[in-house]
Amino acid sequence: MPAALQAQGIGVALGGTPVLHGIDVALPAARWTSVVGPNGAGKSTLLKTLAGLLPHSGEVQLLDRPLAQWRGRERARRLAWLGQGEQGADDLSVWDVAMLGRLPHQPWLAPPSGADRAAVEQALRATQAWDWRERPLGALSGGERQRVLLARLLAVQAEVMLMDEPLANLDPPHQADWLLLVRELVARGKTVVSVLHEIGMALHADQMVVMAQGRVHHQGACDDPATHQALEQVFDHRIAIHPLGDQWVALPR
Amino acid sequence: MSGARHSLWLGGALLIAAAAVLLLGAGVGSTGFDSVLHARHDPVAWQILWDIRLPRTLGAWVAGGLLGLAGAVAQGLFRNPLADPYLLGSASGAALGVALALALFGTTPFATQWAVRLGLTGAAFTGAVIGVVLTLALAKGVQHTLRLLLAGVIVGVVLGAARDLVTIASPDTLQAMQGFMLGSTGFVGWAACGVMAAMGLAALLVAASLGRVLDGLALGEATAISLGLPLVAVRAVLVAVLALATGAAVAQTGLIAFVGLASPHLVRSIVKTTHGRLIVLSALMGGLLLMAADVLARWIIAPQELPVGVLTAVLGGSYLLWLMHRRRRPGGGL
Amino acid sequence: MSLRFWRLFVLGCLIGDAAHAADVTLTDDRGVTVTLAQSPQRIVSVLPSLTETVCELGQCHRLVGVDRYSNYPASVRGLPQVGGGIDPNIEAIVALKPDVVLMATSSRGVQRLESLGVKVLAMEPKSSADAQRVMGKLGQLLAVPDAQRIWRAIDASVSAVAQSLPPGARQLRVYYEVSTGGYAAGTGSFIGELMARLGVQNIVAPSLGPFPRVNPEYVVRANPDLIMIGARNVQGLETRPGWRGIRALRERRLCVFTAEESDVLVRPGPRMAEAARLMARCITEKGLK
Repeated sequence: MPAALQAQGIGVALGGTPVLHGIDVALPAARWTSVVGPNGAGKSTLLKTLAGLLPHSGEVQLLDRPLAQWRGRERARRLAWLGQGEQGADDLSVWDVAMLGRLPHQPWLAPPSGADRAAVEQALRATQAWDWRERPLGALSGGERQRVLLARLLAVQAEVMLMDEPLANLDPPHQADWLLLVRELVARGKTVVSVLHEIGMALHADQMVVMAQGRVHHQGACDDPATHQALEQVFDHRIAIHPLGDQWVALPR
Repeated sequence: MSGARHSLWLGGALLIAAAAVLLLGAGVGSTGFDSVLHARHDPVAWQILWDIRLPRTLGAWVAGGLLGLAGAVAQGLFRNPLADPYLLGSASGAALGVALALALFGTTPFATQWAVRLGLTGAAFTGAVIGVVLTLALAKGVQHTLRLLLAGVIVGVVLGAARDLVTIASPDTLQAMQGFMLGSTGFVGWAACGVMAAMGLAALLVAASLGRVLDGLALGEATAISLGLPLVAVRAVLVAVLALATGAAVAQTGLIAFVGLASPHLVRSIVKTTHGRLIVLSALMGGLLLMAADVLARWIIAPQELPVGVLTAVLGGSYLLWLMHRRRRPGGGL
Repeated sequence: MSLRFWRLFVLGCLIGDAAHAADVTLTDDRGVTVTLAQSPQRIVSVLPSLTETVCELGQCHRLVGVDRYSNYPASVRGLPQVGGGIDPNIEAIVALKPDVVLMATSSRGVQRLESLGVKVLAMEPKSSADAQRVMGKLGQLLAVPDAQRIWRAIDASVSAVAQSLPPGARQLRVYYEVSTGGYAAGTGSFIGELMARLGVQNIVAPSLGPFPRVNPEYVVRANPDLIMIGARNVQGLETRPGWRGIRALRERRLCVFTAEESDVLVRPGPRMAEAARLMARCITEKGLK
């Protein structure tokens, strides 16, 4: 399987403390990979490093080119990142926030083009946020806000999408919507990588990267028993993976 | 009603209000409305109207616009609603720059008006840049509000002390600096107006064009970088804009507080919009605020004058108190 | 007969013209040369010492506006006030249509007024030599022919006061505190010069400059015999650490000048003789015991 994102020997230290140790990982193209692990495993840090947001030792390649060789805007057009718990921008309208996703595509002082507008509309409709596009972000609830931020990510129309806890504050129906959305994106050839702490949702992915204490413990297909074992291991066997119809669920033991 | 249309309405309203206050300002002063009535046949009255009141009122508008612009840029750049040219050390830096210029080149240099005004503005600009850079260095980034404000206060105090040293060392400048510190729009002539307007236009164009970057930055630094925004370059340019706007205003009118802090908040309480529009509206609001304060300063105890800085502090301070009071009621979060 | 009359008439006219047609040209303390078509009839003064000098030259009636700190002679208090030295009201000054404005060199409004076409003479007397020079210039400006004589009379009064002091005054060591925060009158200041003329010793060393801010320790160590201070600043003088032991305070040799008296002492101007008298009275009443 060709890899959209690859990392070799990644080491990251935050505030002097090493957080990631010698990570090798290859994220397959046109697939959905979920990254799971206990708190403090370094999942968010890994995602940020893959997005090129943190200084690191080792190498990252995006679409077979070293990340360092990509120019800022070019990289921003092909790789989009959604962070965890983003505050701020309360005064901007939902529309304006989604339009921010088009920044990598817009020439410097140009107003939004037709393509930009179409992309924003598509993104807002996909997250069911189109009806309140005039409302300011600060007036929305947690879940609504998260959907708008997702729309911002979608509007970039990047090939590779990295999402850190995309389901935060989302209620079950909208979590189900998100699932459908990701499947649709992958079907269209996009690469999706998501850090999820909801293991049940994470098990819906194609591939899973299991992390613990700053290292990759296991990487494999989600329906592979080896992956399930690895999962149970990193959580100290406090959970058990059970099949449920054509899905997998994780229950406390 | 989209944010764009709201913004347009507000902008129009601010311009109309400004025109009204400008007319009012032409009629207010130590000689009252008489000067306007006699302007046609009395050359002195004409001079009062055309060479004193108009440039002064217009100058107050432009200076207020510069301060409002600086406030909006500071608040967007530092993602902090308490950012203000005064709290970030730029105003103290500008004052120090002016003190050094006066000390080194004499209090009454033999140069044409334009050169003097530009020279003092340049000195103020340099000082303002140094002030902001020092604050940023001390605060090690803008993440922590408390650290940023603390750094700004420290830098302000230190630069203020440096300014005191300069004025003590060259006592000839002491009186001049005292007058300068007491912010005043009373000495603004057409030359000063021109310099401020030129700087203001340049600063406004640059800042408004970078509004989108500030919007991206509002979602967080990491997101902004992931969107491919050239943060380092843009920050440098915006710091320069902040320093230029503050320096230009301080060099012509001295230290006038609160306008930079209150203008963006006033705008935001009326309309919620993107940074590009906020910057322009904040400039218009600041202009109206200072111009109104200037006219009031001349009117309340005419034929004498109140120092305009006192009025802006009272007006701006009361507004902020009211804002805090309103937000403390349930339903609003600060 | 008629020819002689006409010759005298023409001569008279010529002399009359000459008196008025003479341009008045002056260079002020900045080095700027100001030319007026005739001696100014409407004058605005924004510095108290300049106001007093104008009045001393007998030209008080030519003043149309003063600053808020000018309070002598009493007649100027009724004139329109145009702000202070650091915040002159430009509009008010221009509205008075002055022929010339007298300001301090450090005043902020100088350039602004000049750019409006108003003639400004910037002078700031700081010592008695300055005061003499200013009186001379103003005498020239106001076409008062005997300005120097007026100065000489003032000067002579000061000398007379100095001579009237008993010889014991020469031994006195004096400290004059000008304002709170310990700003002392140094030897180069106007007050310091007066002290020198009256023959007393100033405890402030000449090298410290005209208005140094001296360390309170310095004063304690110098142990002056007599302290002079304004009523505004005298609060808490004796509670300053170590000051109770100073001879002047122990023996209650302290002169407290009222606000009006302080004004006379601090302004280098024509009231120098009165300043000398004030100081002499202080010396004889409190200094020599």
